Amino acid sequence: MKSIIERVTITTVHETQVINITDVVLDIVKKSEVRSGFFFVISLHTTTGIFINEGIFDVEADIIDTVMRLAPDDGSYRHARYLPSDGQMGVNAVSHIRSVLLGFECFFPIENGAPVMGGRQTIYFVELDGPQERTLVVQVFGV
Amino acid sequence: MIVDFHTHPMMIKELLENSPDLSRAVQDVFGLKFPAQPLSIFLLEMNEAQVDRAVLLPLDCTSRHNCVIVSNEQVAELCDKHPEFIGFASVDPGDPAAVKKLEHAVKGLGLQGLKLNPALQGFEINDQKSAYAIYQLCVELDIPVLIHCGLSWAPSGLARYAHPLLVEEVVQAFPTLKIVIAHFAWPWVNEAVMLALKYPNVYLDTAILYSGTPSNAYQDVIGNKVGKLVLERSLREKVIFGSNYPRVDIRRSVRGINDLNLSPELCQNIFYDNACRILDTERSKV
Repeated sequence: MKSIIERVTITTVHETQVINITDVVLDIVKKSEVRSGFFFVISLHTTTGIFINEGIFDVEADIIDTVMRLAPDDGSYRHARYLPSDGQMGVNAVSHIRSVLLGFECFFPIENGAPVMGGRQTIYFVELDGPQERTLVVQVFGV
Repeated sequence: MIVDFHTHPMMIKELLENSPDLSRAVQDVFGLKFPAQPLSIFLLEMNEAQVDRAVLLPLDCTSRHNCVIVSNEQVAELCDKHPEFIGFASVDPGDPAAVKKLEHAVKGLGLQGLKLNPALQGFEINDQKSAYAIYQLCVELDIPVLIHCGLSWAPSGLARYAHPLLVEEVVQAFPTLKIVIAHFAWPWVNEAVMLALKYPNVYLDTAILYSGTPSNAYQDVIGNKVGKLVLERSLREKVIFGSNYPRVDIRRSVRGINDLNLSPELCQNIFYDNACRILDTERSKV
């Protein structure tokens, strides 16, 4: 049984940014040479998201618009105060809430050396409090 | 054009890695404890906030805390490589060589203003013995001084040194010195506003952080406590945008000013024109 972990660094350039990471992830899966198993993609952050959906721009935009509408910038949030543990203002409640709505991981099986994915399924990493340098982890398990 | 007059180049990965002393000072003395980001993120943050220039504020608090939190030389280097930055110097009023160091920082390194943080540097703003020679040199060099006033989030910062009323004697002794009172001196906002109303060379920056989002804080302080009419009528040329990055992000700070729904002319003054009144626009390229 193999267990391979790779960290991927992403520099985001906008406050909210949807990034198609399918090719990056599948390249790691391919290089692992796992024939039968599964892989996880996990964000190490609490103000980013990972989601799976159809890889077209209008779906991307509708998903993000909806998430932003559900957690609006001008809402009243408790997380809007100085954080002594950080030494900075914690004023990004919307980013945390949007992150929860999108989730932070995805998972697919591997069969005969290839990921078992629907033809329209695309893996997205979403920045929700950028620009920042972000890290995601891809773990591949199997034989 | 937007100038952010109040940023700290202290959580830049390239400066902190391989410098454990600086990392420790940033964390223990200045109180920033979150992960540093690459310099490119600072520039991207400015870009996302549509900020064109940022004033970099270092801190020399050697006599009180035995550390320099980003040196004048490091600030100068950042400015040389990135024209988006406008570098200010820091000198420690407790250092007998402070005047010489300031002269070198301006004439030799090309820095364009002075930052003083009495709460962390532990000096009296109106102390003739330690501070007046520095103010005199600022007048001679025609550079502004930005003075931290009000609440200090730094763990060992003492607010009693940072009361804006201490500034008044300095203003009267050096009437041509351009003084920026940082943070609207919160919680001593009335005192700071009084000085800016009375004295032609006293300015206020908007780096107001105590609770809530920047939008909440600006609304509470500028919208409600000071009042937008006072701003529009009497402080049009006295308020300068400053975020206090990275204690808060620049994006939300810019939005906080926009959320006040001020007149377009006043916004233009706060975001740009008032900074130009203070800076040497030719040197700063603003």
